[in-house]
Amino acid sequence: METAIRRPNWLSRLNAVWAPPAVLDFWLSRLNPLWSWGHARARVIELHPEADGVTTLVLRPNRHFRGFRPGQHVTVGVEIDGVRYTRSYSASDMPRADGRIRITVKTVEGGKVGAFLQTIPVGSVLSLGQAFGELCVPDEPAPCLMLAAGSGITPLLSLVNAQAAAGFRRPVRLAYWARTRAQLVQAEALRAFASRHPNFKVHFMLTGEASQAADELEGRIEPRHLTTLLSGDEQAHVLACGSYGFVERVREVLGDRCLSFRAEAFSPPPRVIDASDQGHVRVTLLKSGQTLDIPRNKSLLEALEEQGVKPRHGCRMGICNTCACGKSSGATRHLHDRSVQHEPTQALRLCIQAAQSDLSLEL
Amino acid sequence: MSKIYSRALSPDELDRFGEELDALRARTLATLGQGDADYIRRIMAGVRWLGLGGRVMLMVGAILGGTVMPLLLWPLCILGTVLLGLSKILENMEVGHNVMHGQYDWMGDPALQGRSYEWDIVGTSDSWRKTHNYSHHTWTNVRGMDDDIGYGLLRIFPEQRWKPFYLMQPVVAVVFALLFEWGVALQDLRIGRWFAGKMKGRTLLKMTTPVAKKAGKQVLKDYLLFPLLAGPYFLPVLLGNVVANLIRNVWTYMIIFCGHFTADSEVFPKECVRNETRGHWYLRQLRGSSNLTGGRIMNLWSGNLSHQIEHHFYPDIPANRYAAMAVEVREICARYGQHYNTGSLPKQFGTVIWRILRHAFPSKPGPARPLIAAG
Repeated sequence: METAIRRPNWLSRLNAVWAPPAVLDFWLSRLNPLWSWGHARARVIELHPEADGVTTLVLRPNRHFRGFRPGQHVTVGVEIDGVRYTRSYSASDMPRADGRIRITVKTVEGGKVGAFLQTIPVGSVLSLGQAFGELCVPDEPAPCLMLAAGSGITPLLSLVNAQAAAGFRRPVRLAYWARTRAQLVQAEALRAFASRHPNFKVHFMLTGEASQAADELEGRIEPRHLTTLLSGDEQAHVLACGSYGFVERVREVLGDRCLSFRAEAFSPPPRVIDASDQGHVRVTLLKSGQTLDIPRNKSLLEALEEQGVKPRHGCRMGICNTCACGKSSGATRHLHDRSVQHEPTQALRLCIQAAQSDLSLEL
Repeated sequence: MSKIYSRALSPDELDRFGEELDALRARTLATLGQGDADYIRRIMAGVRWLGLGGRVMLMVGAILGGTVMPLLLWPLCILGTVLLGLSKILENMEVGHNVMHGQYDWMGDPALQGRSYEWDIVGTSDSWRKTHNYSHHTWTNVRGMDDDIGYGLLRIFPEQRWKPFYLMQPVVAVVFALLFEWGVALQDLRIGRWFAGKMKGRTLLKMTTPVAKKAGKQVLKDYLLFPLLAGPYFLPVLLGNVVANLIRNVWTYMIIFCGHFTADSEVFPKECVRNETRGHWYLRQLRGSSNLTGGRIMNLWSGNLSHQIEHHFYPDIPANRYAAMAVEVREICARYGQHYNTGSLPKQFGTVIWRILRHAFPSKPGPARPLIAAG
């Protein structure tokens, strides 16, 4: 579902003079909080608790949402205490004819948004980004092995549902790791697929409990599991989704015993966050495409200037806001009160912030 | 004519003065939350409703007044004009000015981002961010660095060199008040430098392009598109828009002039900011700024610039917090023997008018009032 971006003609430009999009959005949202001139938004229409600290939300997007493919994620924006936070979640079901999206949200320790979404009132409106992500089942009909750990199950659920809707035209095997049985999401639905379709098999891999049922196995991923998961001589396409550590471990265990390997880690590689201000970090400048190593012990503005980058700047003391720029990832430290900021932001003052971890800046 | 009670502080005292004000800042920042977000959204809604009300009144007044009920023409058009003027005042002062300082950047709402907000006035936000947020707020009342001192047109302080041109100042000041938004729009171009042959025509032209674009849009909107909606009853709507903009211009001029040009506000030489400490910076902001009394109504309609002192101390803290912070700021200033310049609008604006009249003629600066105690 691609929409060509229309070039503004003189009429639409004239219209924007007396009715700018921000003004139109204000009046549209008075009529219906879901309506907007150009932004995708979604209403929460159902909430289903799935397992310990895991809830599925059914969202109904407005007409600006351009749909998704199974295995993709969407960015959801919520406002907590006046502050907008964004997180991406994989759709946990295949695309539906009614356009509704299902996302499955897990609370993580100390996480704000996950916990907020667990109890969000039905009827609330969220902001939505367009879907992205490359995880998908290859076209050719070889068997497919899916490996999920924890929240990594969500995009794979979407892919499994899509395969089920197509009647499992190829052998699909899913191995799903969780610490305990109570943390498994949609276990019954998966078992139901397995009992109905000879082409679909599911294995629940428990790391914190003993296995009981026939479709349960124990332990973290190890080479011995492969005899079950890659039974016979046939080669399979492998999809894996989980934490960074899980995905790396899968890659190691599999070696070259597969046709293709696609993986998605929902957590970035572990970042060393060191409270001291020694050493260097890597800064990616998204607009100019540069990557630089800069010291952590001085303001970002100073450090970037030393590397020959000249960001816009003014007072150099945090007053005038001229050097504010977007930060899409990474942690920074305020030079006056030493407070650390992890959230992505649209306005980071380079002159009074120092790098704390690797960063991506909109420069 | 003014009596200054502020004493010079020793370097140690200055440091402590700065630390106390920094601590107040940190305490306030820690409590920002939903209440502040709700506040700015309420104001934003106020701007939109007042604007809609004003434009509808003007339109209805013009059309009904021009057709079936001529008696309604004046009352409805005047009401519409006032509402539209109020909407523009609120948008410029409480939303535009404050959002552009980055006061609501912490919310992460794209519509309230300091570096991208565009306001409803002929000047571009970009040039305001430069002349105001950077030059004026960093170098408040420093001669030769803060262009807001007399806006290159007026002689407000005896420290400015007198020229015969200033004899016309009382008239210039009135025209400037009426056309204030145009003055602000042109401020960054420094056309004076081009007249003096210090700037190339091409440079000026390049700088003028965005300003002309923005001004063109505003003129098109207020003086053509909206009036045209009334069809043959174009004229009253046009007039209403012109007057609404004039109301906004005169009001903002008064508030802004009361912020730095009252009797007790001081100007500083360039040497003052060399190796300036945090405490020294705060003291300079205090001595150069002045507040207005008048409670919540004044706070709202001045975009909280009634708390000019607090605004200069904390330009990036949501302005609705200034009133509460002012209680502590005042107490801190009193303990350090610093005059806290405040007064009613008539009183403060009276002293501004006196300055404009008095310094149209040659005048001599009073004795130096050092910020830091010698030795």
